[in-house]
Amino acid sequence: MTGLAIDDAAWSSAWRRRSPGDKLLLCLGLTVCALALPAWPGSLLVGLTAVVLALGPARVPARTFGRAVQLPLAFIVVGALTAVVEVGAGGLGWAPDAGARAGSLVGHAVAGSGAVLLLATTTPMSDLLPALRRLRVPEAVVEVASVVYRLLFVLLESLRTIREAQTARMGYSSLRRSYRSSGILAAAVLTRSWDRARRMQEGLAGRGMETGLQVLPEVLPSSRAFLAASVLGLAGIVAVSVALR
Amino acid sequence: MHIAEGFLPPAHAIGWTVAAAPFVVHGARAVVREVRENPESTLLLGAAGAFTFVLSAIKLPSVTGSSSHPTGTGAGAILFRPPVMALLGTVVLLFQALLLAHGGLTTLGANAFSMAIVGPWAGYGAYRLTRGLGGGLLPGVFAGMAVADLATYVTTSLQLALAFPDASSGFAGAAAKFLGVFAITQIPLAIGEGLLGVLLFRVLTVNARPELERLGVLKS
Repeated sequence: MTGLAIDDAAWSSAWRRRSPGDKLLLCLGLTVCALALPAWPGSLLVGLTAVVLALGPARVPARTFGRAVQLPLAFIVVGALTAVVEVGAGGLGWAPDAGARAGSLVGHAVAGSGAVLLLATTTPMSDLLPALRRLRVPEAVVEVASVVYRLLFVLLESLRTIREAQTARMGYSSLRRSYRSSGILAAAVLTRSWDRARRMQEGLAGRGMETGLQVLPEVLPSSRAFLAASVLGLAGIVAVSVALR
Repeated sequence: MHIAEGFLPPAHAIGWTVAAAPFVVHGARAVVREVRENPESTLLLGAAGAFTFVLSAIKLPSVTGSSSHPTGTGAGAILFRPPVMALLGTVVLLFQALLLAHGGLTTLGANAFSMAIVGPWAGYGAYRLTRGLGGGLLPGVFAGMAVADLATYVTTSLQLALAFPDASSGFAGAAAKFLGVFAITQIPLAIGEGLLGVLLFRVLTVNARPELERLGVLKS
């Protein structure tokens, strides 16, 4: 358990051992479909496909997937409603096609979020970061991103422990105390992150690893059947969306 | 304030990615140069990125009774400078999209432009200006972190207004709408983040003075 529900789901997903490249093709394809195809029926098809694949063959817990989809909903709903309100000479009012436009915006965003979540809940970041190397992202940048991924769980654990101790000492019992506790919490996490980094560096230097954190990458073979099914499925979504437009 | 996946039309998503790219590439070059000269920087930069991510997990009490999350990019810009934050902020946004379902992949460019580029540069500018005018470290930190947050919110609102101009009043009307709606949460959050920054740096000046001197925030 890493403490982040989406990351936990990715590590225990039935698709964990599938090639990250295969999953990237499927999920990025779905994301592009959600963005480019008309909301009806494109977004509906993309959204349904993402949910069925996540809860079915990938065996992502429904509760985790459902809660993660809900997270961006506040922004999506407020943003969509604001976009379809018209500012005229007589004040505020609904745009003539407000319902259709709001529905389209919400459809694109929810379907796109579902597609990205399918990737996030089936592929740990440590599998995705090596893919950045193949995209010619500089080695130093990939290494920094890898360290961010490894350290953030340690820091999140520190954050939870310190906040628990502060709460037990009435650290969040008033607005003033809450701000004071939050400031101390942020400072403690920052100094711990520096301390961790320094100790890791000293440990690595002691082992003669001064030029980089070279590790043997895990090879997850690509599946032709999965790739063919992904391409056929995406083509089907495009064909049905264009035909029913 | 992250723009959700799929919310921007394709042309805007591509346009903001192209606009953010030179800054992120510049940041990446700065990081590559730094790591080549000082290999131990990899871990310190990674720690800075992880801190920025974790800072967004701190619940900040709001005067409206709810709680919000700081962006952390203002603190990062003061400590590590805006070019580095352009890259680290983009990495953090990618992690937030894939680990927290905040933001998205097609909106990564737009979110990076507001949160990893405009926010840190505006915040760092406000910090330097305040210190240049004779304000001390803590007023500078307050200005830097609050302005970074405000600049991010204003940029995001303008990005949304460009994507969804008002049918009768155009871009200006849409900008007023988005700025007005998000002001309810974002202006208290900006003030709250400024206050958090003051408390953070007050503790750091006591407990982590050597690090602040090494980063050039305090004179040795």
